Parts: sequence; C-alpha cells; structure tokens
Amino acid sequence: MTWVAVAKKDFSDAVQSRSLWALSAFFILLSLGLTYGYSEFEFLSAGTETTIGGLVFFLGGIVGLFVSITSIVICYRAIAGERELGSAKILLSLPHSRLDVLVGKVVGRTAVLAVPLIIALGLGLSIGIIVIGAGSILSAVIFLGWTFFFALVYVSIIVGLSALVSSTTKAAALGIGFFFIVEFLWDGVAFVLLFVANGFSLPTAAPDWYFVVTQVPPSNAYFSGLVALLPDVAAAVNASTGAAGFDAFYAVPEIGIVILCLWLIVPISIGYTVFSQADL
Amino acid sequence: MVAIQLDGVSKQYGSITALRNVDLTVESGEIFGFLGPNGAGKSTTIDILLDFVRPTNGSATVLGHDAQTESVAVRSKTGVLPDGYHVYDRLSGREHVQFAIDSKESTEDPLDLLDRVGIADAADRNAGGYSKGMTQRLVLAMALAGEPELLILDEPSTGLDPNGAREMRKIIREEADRGATVFFSSHILEQVEAICDRVGILNNGELVAEDTISGLRASLETDSRLDVTLENADNGAVSAAEDVAGVTSAIQDGSMLSIALTRESKYEVLAALDREGYSIVDFTTDESSLDDLFAAVTREPRSAEGHTEEDAAAAPTEVEQ
Repeated sequence: MTWVAVAKKDFSDAVQSRSLWALSAFFILLSLGLTYGYSEFEFLSAGTETTIGGLVFFLGGIVGLFVSITSIVICYRAIAGERELGSAKILLSLPHSRLDVLVGKVVGRTAVLAVPLIIALGLGLSIGIIVIGAGSILSAVIFLGWTFFFALVYVSIIVGLSALVSSTTKAAALGIGFFFIVEFLWDGVAFVLLFVANGFSLPTAAPDWYFVVTQVPPSNAYFSGLVALLPDVAAAVNASTGAAGFDAFYAVPEIGIVILCLWLIVPISIGYTVFSQADL
Repeated sequence: MVAIQLDGVSKQYGSITALRNVDLTVESGEIFGFLGPNGAGKSTTIDILLDFVRPTNGSATVLGHDAQTESVAVRSKTGVLPDGYHVYDRLSGREHVQFAIDSKESTEDPLDLLDRVGIADAADRNAGGYSKGMTQRLVLAMALAGEPELLILDEPSTGLDPNGAREMRKIIREEADRGATVFFSSHILEQVEAICDRVGILNNGELVAEDTISGLRASLETDSRLDVTLENADNGAVSAAEDVAGVTSAIQDGSMLSIALTRESKYEVLAALDREGYSIVDFTTDESSLDDLFAAVTREPRSAEGHTEEDAAAAPTEVEQ
C-alpha cells in the first residue's frame, strides 16, 4: 500500500495553494463570528440558556452547509483533474494501484479540508468555553470528532464522483448536481417520492420510510448523528431530527450514523469500480 | 531473460485500430528503440505495458509479470518517462523526486538524482516554472529513482536541445551498463541509430520490423540509392531502370530518376539508360541511411507517383490519446 505517499504528495501540493489559506482564514473568521454571535445574541440560542452544548448544535447546523460546499470545491478535480491535465500519467507511472490513488486522495484532501476546519472550530469552541463557561468539554470534543468524520465522508463522496469522469467540466457538473439534488432540493425530491409511492396522491400521514428518506442528505445525517451522539445535550437545547413522529425501530437519530457510513463507502466504491477499468 | 513480451496485442478505440496483433520481445539488458511515425501506436503500446489502457486482445508481460493483473509489481521495477504528462506546478523539483523515491520505497537523496540530470540548481523551485527541457529532465530523474530494472522512455528527447539530447543518451548508456533494460520510443532516427542494440518499427498499428540495425539493413534489398538526372526523362526511362536486376523501384520526378537498388547494380543501370538512348546529365549515389530504411518499411509500396517522406509521416491514422 503506497497511498501514504500519494496522500503526502496531495497534501503538500494543496498546502502551497493560496486558496487553502484563504479557506482557513475564512473558517476561522466564521467560527469566531458564530461563537461571538451565539454568546452575545439571545435569539440565536433559541431562548435556551447559552451553554457549550448549545454552541455545539448551533455550529453543527451551519457546518453541514460549509463542509459540503468546500469539499466540492476542494475535491471535484481530485481524479478528473489529474487525468485531464496528464499528471495522472506521472502518478500512475509510479507503483501505485488505482485503489492507492483513491485512498491517498481521500486522505490527503481530508487533511486539506479537516485541518483548517477543526482548528477553526476548536478555536471558536475554546473561546466559547472561556466566555460561556458552562457545559461539558466532552461534548465539544465529540462534536469535533464527528465533524472530522463528516468532512472525511464528504471528501470521499466527491473524490468518488471525480473518479467517474476524465474531464474537470464533467466532474464539476457531477459535484454541483450532487449538491443541488441531494442537499439543496432534497426536500422536494423526498416529497415527489412520497407522492409517487402513494399512487400520485398525498397520504394523510407520512409512512415510516419517509423519515429515512429525509435523512439521506449527508448534512442531515450529520446533524442526526450529532443528536444521537449527544442525546442529553440535544434534549437540553431542543435539537431534534424529526424522528419523533415515526415509530419504526429505524426512525431514530442513530440512522444518521448508518447513513453517513454508507456515504463513506458507496460512492467511492462506485468511483473505484469505474476508475479501475478506465483507460487513462 | 525476457524483459518485455507482447503476444498478439490489439487495441481498438471505437472504430479506430491503434494496434493490430503486435508480437514483440525485448531481451533483458538491451537498449531497444521503438520507432514509428507519429500516430503509429507507440504510445498506446507503452500505455498497455504500464496498464494505463487495457488491450482489446492479446497479453503483455513485463519483467515476468502480467502487465494488466500485476501492474504494481511491473511499475515498482520500472522507471517511466511518459508522453503527454504534466507535472505538479506547485511542487518543487525536489518534492517531485522525493515523491518518486517514496513511491518506490527507495532511499536515495533526491538531490543526487537531480544532479545526474543536470537540474540540481533548480531543485527548490516550483516545477510549474520549469522550461520544457527542465521538466523532461525532472521526470527522467523521477524515472531513475529506485534503480529500476527497466526504463520505459516515451520520446525522451522531446523538448531537449542537442546538448540535452546527448546527455539523455549518456544516461541511457549508463543505465544499460548498470544492467537495466531500456525501451524507448522515438521518431527521431539518429538517436536510435546511435545507441540501440535492436529496433522495432511500428507503422499503422502493426510491427513491420524487429531487428538489429545492421540486420535491418541487410534484410532490405535496397541498401543504396541512385539519383540520375536525364535530359529526356520519361516513363520509358523508368521501365528501363526497373528492368535491371537489383533495382527495387524507380521514381521519376521531373528530369530526375530516383532509383532504389543494390550496390552492385548501379553501373548496370547507368549502362542500361545510356543504351536506351537517354543522355545522363548528372548522377549522385549514396548509402541508404536509417531514414531510408525507416521510409522503406513504413511506407506503402512505392508507386510511380511517388510519396514524399512527409506523406509517410502524416498518412497513418492519428490516434487521439
């Protein structure tokens, strides 16, 4: 396995990009701004007492959007770009299997995204702990770990999409299309599914499986997973996943963890299957 | 020991045939020149050896490993200078070579390799700012990492000035002396003639010759050319020349007859033309160069209209890579 060399190369390449530093600065400003806003303005904490837990869920609600957009920007060219430009010929002249290339890319780009993200959030939470002074540090640590995992999942999705095509134009279209359909317009998609599955009419009550459909977007699954990992904090700050209205055994926040794990594995596996058979 | 073995390899891109039933053997330790006009299928062949593309038919074995199923093993023992590559603009020369060393799980100092190819002074500059020649040297340095058993070099002198091309040949010789097999493609004949033990000539996706250069010369009947300028050249003069034993072809171009023939039949041709009433204004003769050999094997059989060498280079199906 030589993916370590690929990941190292990919990370050192990205570290020398100005946009990474701009991104880091942006993350830090965003995190500090959100922390400040949460601790200063009561309406942002939704009437509950300001706590670290409250700050965690407040940040978590926004991180989902930013991770999805930035991972598309950072990763859509990961494989397609190297193929289009011809650096893939240098990469694959060396003894890397195509699996090594994909794994190395996912690890390298996760480092590119997650390092500034975790630093920024960690900074915001540290200041939050000093200013607010209430709540457990453990919830902050769990939040950072889960957010790191979410970044890894999103990078894996976009690298998987990038591995499907040999031009950056197509890769960008896939990434943007994915964001629009699976994140931005998903409520509509879920609604259409419900409408069609019910014989082209609206049911009086949504069936149990509908909850799972609403959890398909990775950022929804991330939020539900956070609720599942920090149930007491979630209850205290009124963070809910909408699972309450359903009574199937799978209509629980934990489904978010399962769905995110599937997002980690499935797109990259499809990407690998296509890429491993492709002519460069 | 066999370093490279191709058995009946074909590659089809849609309706375009890039390679047609190619059999090729490169022995371990030799310097093998892979010749052919642009678009002949040289890069496709190399792409198959490295598993960049998969053959439609046939199999390729490199250093005893199947090129498709055991590609990582192949590439761990092979240094490659590919064609149509692009370097990582933001990484320095040193970082590129270090990446190759890490990937090969080797331990050399990247600076030694950069020094060998003559760009040690640019080691810490970003490769995006390198000239074409420096980039070519950089990727050669990457290919040399880990003392590979086999070097595959696709058009290695691309972008190099004559001095750079000579240094490239020196490195190729040094690598061969170390015991490495060198397989390189080129459409420039002088380089091949200067250092190759054997050559293979590819044309239109088919291997049309595989031999030593002297063997190639001997195998072709035409090892000489005679150009005769006549006062009254016509088709009759062409026929008269072609009737002489030892003449393979005669082409009329204005007042000049260009005749491919064996060395021994030159005098007889001149005598025959004189006998038929053609008055000889001038004639020149020369040993056929590798260029002529190349042209002879890659060209369609000569017709009376005659092909120019440019035609021969442009005619084969260009395969978009």
